Amino acid sequence: MTEFKPKIIGFLCNWCSYAGADLAGVSRYQYPPDIRIIRVMCSARIDPMIIFTLFKEGADGILVGGCHLGDCHYISGNYHTEKRAYVIEKLIEKTGMEPERFRLEWISASEGERFSKVVGEFTETIRGLGPSKVKEDPELETKIGAAVGTTLSFRIRALLGHEIQMAEGGNVYGEKVAEEELQKIVDQAVEVEFRRNHILEIASSKPSSAKELSQVVGIPPDEVVNHIATLRQKNLLGIDHIDGMTPFYVALLAGGD
Amino acid sequence: MEPEEQPPAASEEPTEEVPETPAQPEEKVPEAQPGTEEQPPETPTETEDQPPETPATLDSDEVRIGAFICHCGTNIGGFVDVPAVVEYAKTLPNVVYATDNLYSCAEDGLASIRDAIKEHKLNRVIVASCTPRTHAPLFQSVCEEAGLNKYLFEFANIREQCSWVHMKEKEEATQKAKDLVRSAISKAALLVPQEEMRVDVVPRSLVIGGGVAGLSAALSVARQGFDVHLVEKEAELGGFVRNLNSLSLAVKSAAETIKPLIDDAMSHENITVHLNSQVEQVNGFIGNFDTTIVTDGSSKEVKVGTIIVATGALEYIPEGFYGYGMYDNVVTLTEFEILAKNHKLPKIQNVAFIQCVGSKGQDKSYCSRICCGVSIKNALYIMENYADIVGEEGGGRVEVDVSVPEISSRRRRRRRITSAEGPGAPGGAPSGGPEITIFNRDVVTYGAEHEIYYNKAREKRIRFVRYSLENLPKVKLEGEKLAVSYFHQTLKTDRKLLADMVVLATPLVAPPDASELSKKLKVPLGQDGFFLEAHMKLRPIDFATDGIFVCGTARGPADITESVAQGLGCASRAAIPMARGFIQAEAILAQVDPTICTGCGTCVENCPYGAIRMTDEGTAEVLAAACKGCGCCGATCPEKAITMMNYTDEQLLAQGRSILEGVP
Amino acid sequence: MSTDVMVIGGGIAGIQASLDIADKGGHVILVEKTPSIGGRMAQLDKTFPTNDCSICILAPKMADCYSHPNIDVMTYSEVIGVEGDAGNFNVNVLKKARYVDETMCTGCEECVVKCPVKLPNEFDQGLGERKAIYMPFAQAVPRVVTIDKENCIWFIKEKCGACKILCKREAIDYDQKDEEVNINVGSIIVAIGYDLWDPTPASEYGYGKYPNVFTGMEYERMINASGPTGGEMQRRSDGKRPHKLAFIQCVGSRNPQLGHAYCCSVCCMFSTKEAMLAREHHEDIDSAIFYKDLRAFGKGFWEYVERAKKDYGVRYINSDATVQENPKNNNPIVVYDVAGRPEKEEFDMVVLATTLIPRSDAVKVAEMIGIPLTQFGFFESKDRILGPVDTKRDGVFLAGYCREPMDIPESVAEGSAAAARAVETVLEKGVSV
Repeated sequence: MTEFKPKIIGFLCNWCSYAGADLAGVSRYQYPPDIRIIRVMCSARIDPMIIFTLFKEGADGILVGGCHLGDCHYISGNYHTEKRAYVIEKLIEKTGMEPERFRLEWISASEGERFSKVVGEFTETIRGLGPSKVKEDPELETKIGAAVGTTLSFRIRALLGHEIQMAEGGNVYGEKVAEEELQKIVDQAVEVEFRRNHILEIASSKPSSAKELSQVVGIPPDEVVNHIATLRQKNLLGIDHIDGMTPFYVALLAGGD
Repeated sequence: MEPEEQPPAASEEPTEEVPETPAQPEEKVPEAQPGTEEQPPETPTETEDQPPETPATLDSDEVRIGAFICHCGTNIGGFVDVPAVVEYAKTLPNVVYATDNLYSCAEDGLASIRDAIKEHKLNRVIVASCTPRTHAPLFQSVCEEAGLNKYLFEFANIREQCSWVHMKEKEEATQKAKDLVRSAISKAALLVPQEEMRVDVVPRSLVIGGGVAGLSAALSVARQGFDVHLVEKEAELGGFVRNLNSLSLAVKSAAETIKPLIDDAMSHENITVHLNSQVEQVNGFIGNFDTTIVTDGSSKEVKVGTIIVATGALEYIPEGFYGYGMYDNVVTLTEFEILAKNHKLPKIQNVAFIQCVGSKGQDKSYCSRICCGVSIKNALYIMENYADIVGEEGGGRVEVDVSVPEISSRRRRRRRITSAEGPGAPGGAPSGGPEITIFNRDVVTYGAEHEIYYNKAREKRIRFVRYSLENLPKVKLEGEKLAVSYFHQTLKTDRKLLADMVVLATPLVAPPDASELSKKLKVPLGQDGFFLEAHMKLRPIDFATDGIFVCGTARGPADITESVAQGLGCASRAAIPMARGFIQAEAILAQVDPTICTGCGTCVENCPYGAIRMTDEGTAEVLAAACKGCGCCGATCPEKAITMMNYTDEQLLAQGRSILEGVP
Repeated sequence: MSTDVMVIGGGIAGIQASLDIADKGGHVILVEKTPSIGGRMAQLDKTFPTNDCSICILAPKMADCYSHPNIDVMTYSEVIGVEGDAGNFNVNVLKKARYVDETMCTGCEECVVKCPVKLPNEFDQGLGERKAIYMPFAQAVPRVVTIDKENCIWFIKEKCGACKILCKREAIDYDQKDEEVNINVGSIIVAIGYDLWDPTPASEYGYGKYPNVFTGMEYERMINASGPTGGEMQRRSDGKRPHKLAFIQCVGSRNPQLGHAYCCSVCCMFSTKEAMLAREHHEDIDSAIFYKDLRAFGKGFWEYVERAKKDYGVRYINSDATVQENPKNNNPIVVYDVAGRPEKEEFDMVVLATTLIPRSDAVKVAEMIGIPLTQFGFFESKDRILGPVDTKRDGVFLAGYCREPMDIPESVAEGSAAAARAVETVLEKGVSV
């Protein structure tokens, strides 16, 4: 049996974690060779869409490394990263994929040893989980596809964009939104957007009835009907054909928010 | 000396045999035949024939990638099968040329890149070697020399992040190197040329800290013709040296020695001194920093091109060590200096100095560099000035009136508590000269002159007693004397000596407000709390952030001479962009597509640099000079209307996918 | 009058000074005595405390310096006379004939392969060999060969001529003559670095007598991948690699009897580094460092020593040490004392941290420029406290080890400091850079 060699991608910010990885090298701290690093200028550059796209395409694990909170070379980039990581984790939960496959770490330029340890641990974890099941589990693949869609939805992106401002500077009415309140809003948005995208994902592979959608997505039919209405309004979902009285819906590529 | 049998640079590693590098002699050196017409055999070396001077073409759509894989001596070649990586690179799409270099960064390696760009009409270049953090600029400039836009260059880090961290798994490391090269090539294919913006530099420096380092820096910047704003927290210039009584090698007192520096700074027409002031706010970037200086509650905006950090250090307070704070006459080195300076030293005959109090693996991990020299200086001072042990102004209790570092209030508190109890200094004039013992873990009198002082101290019969971390000396009060018990390492017995005063040499530590300043300036602190330079060896006084520099004890323990040299060094570094008058801004910027942008303003809200604004048309616009290229805006743009040049979604996804697919 | 600055010495301090001035738009003439810039740092394998590969970080700076439009690099050249004053020095530079046209040589080294004369390689401390026509080292800048006239058969017997015949670019020019160039500069920076003390006269260390006693720099070249042994430690007696290494500190230094009373400032750290690197090469290597006082006083140095002890098993023994030899196997025996009792331990290689001394021509340079030397033979600062890089002669500045023992970052900082002072001088003398 060939040994499982996980495909792990590490997105590291240029100033801290990438420098930490360099320091690990300079200091010859050895770690398992499975990680492949992609350099970005700031961890805040990493669009959650990229994470889920790569999970969908079979990544066994993704590590995101940024500066320690407060140390961001770009002042506050990593606070955005933290908020995004929360949404990423929530979405992973919804897809049913093992949450350990995604990891966010703050690693400074002087933490070469810690970098090697983090990679060592993460690789061990991924080896323990085994290969990503995306390619052999169509249901999981569909759900991760839905997560990609979710990260591209206007609502989630706008929320992520305004979240820090809403907590610190207040919303459009100047009211500061409490942390728990905000989290609730985000949780709810993720929930709803994920379901809608899940519906779209299913409907894009095969025209489906509301009943079918309700079964696959696992939510009551009336809720599905609501989502269908919204999606149709946004021109994201259309009717493929009607079988008797039952309309079969299909995702429309040309749609948009 | 017998020359080695083996030819130079040869090794058993097969990867060492780099065919393109002619530096390696053949096994047998044939005797030359003088006078023969015979031409040597042709060898296909890269450097031999100059390729025709054809500029690299970018007009065609054809992507022509050249891949250069570096052996870095054996740093990569010893752990990665470099020729195999080269062969593999040749099979990848768009790669028209691939080769290896023994050292890509050496002149011959650079020449091979330059030549190949021309010869093979490369329009993208990747180098797989060390880290882009240090070497990207070099290879980019080589691309430019060969007529290739430097943003058409991509790096694969196969040393720091491959060969050096997988030293025992050659096969895996080679596979990883191939993957990283493939990933870089997949991105390279999507690169587009970028133009850099020129940004003017304000010819003015902000120097934070008016100690010796800051003064030296400020004066040199001023003498090089630029305005300086020198900000000092205290009411006077001079910094830590103001505490001191004397300086090694100086004839005059510490205060008199540095007085010319202060006078020059105060009177120089280019220098504006802000006393009792702090830097409240710093925004902007190299060439254009907007700073706010607050003096006694009123603030002033100053626009500067460069910033020099010279905020100094404080002395570590040895709470809990050797009866400090419990017994009178247990003082720190700086307290001793203050007492000596103010002629408040009590009558002392027996003095014990204890070195490394709280340092070298205790509360602080480091060696504080200067304390051995300072202790010896003070020991000699006692020897030379207290030969007849009269004490000054009647001697007696030690009252430290510290006005300099922030720690003063804490110290006064301690003194109040102890002054209520405990005996005064030993009374009665003892006989004989002073007896001084310096308890040390290693006497660190490095360099030329410090060592001479050490020798002088030994000649004067100052005792040096070594102790170890496992066997620390102990200080107790015995009657009116301080008893120092210690383990004699040669005799292997416990011993004791009685002292009138115990002086604790504690390390220099970063001031508590260093972290606040580091946040304002967005520059890092090291694990020891001092400011962290860009590179320990070759960029010792630069920060990684352009336009900000560090000198003196703010970057770590240093003596006065070293602080001066670093101050002058910072002045040189800071003057570079100011003398040029402009900097070339990076081209890695955010770019808004106005046809997609709906003007929601999310990016304007999130940009930490205020580098995005709304146009009259209601769409967002990036201010190139202010954009630092972090990409935060792009990742949250609800409409995905923002692209990060050189880090586009397509490029990042291409890199990720190429890693996952494992096939070209 | 001139606003140009002459930098004497192309080591790291001189390179930094040159780059700083040139980046400001000033014009620099960098005069280097040997055929390549790079200096001592180019010889080192790794640097403490990060174990960064020395040439890896230096090579880009060497390339930057050589290709800088504002820097004229004159290698294989020596300053032979200085006249005039600050703002207006007339410097005579002897451009030694290298018998190779620098503009034509591509550094292909075909000629080197064919040259029949083998000589000890100075860059490798004599451990490896070079030819009579040679490239000083693999990463040399400029990448141009030089003919060693003293040892070239053509110059001795007017025979051979192989290099000239082989060189397709006709770069070999036996008729080249030494050339004297007069250069007018406004300011001078002296950054000539240090020499290595030959420990042969100090017989108690057995260097030159016992084959397996090496100097630190020899060891440095040996463990370097591009060194004479391709990175392998090899005993001189049998070519075998050692298993047990002793490093002896302060060989010749801190020793007024041997004439060098001062501390070299860097040896405790480079020996620590060398012991760590030995372990990185071979896991079974045991290293012991015999020291007087462990001087690990720079940023991160003490932590580095702690790591050497903990992670690399390096033993630190606080004692003076001398060397004897086991005649049976040529193993050096280190004699030392612990708590007053004499002890002996057999090793299979000894590395001596020998004194780093002022350059042999420091006296000549000092006299020529008119600047005094300290009692140790280093160039004297004008003011040891506030003017470390100034000299008593206006317009002449100092940087790096030739002023005072110091490590690489301090030399870099001083290179910048001297650059600042030199620029101030030429500005003050009335012409703007």
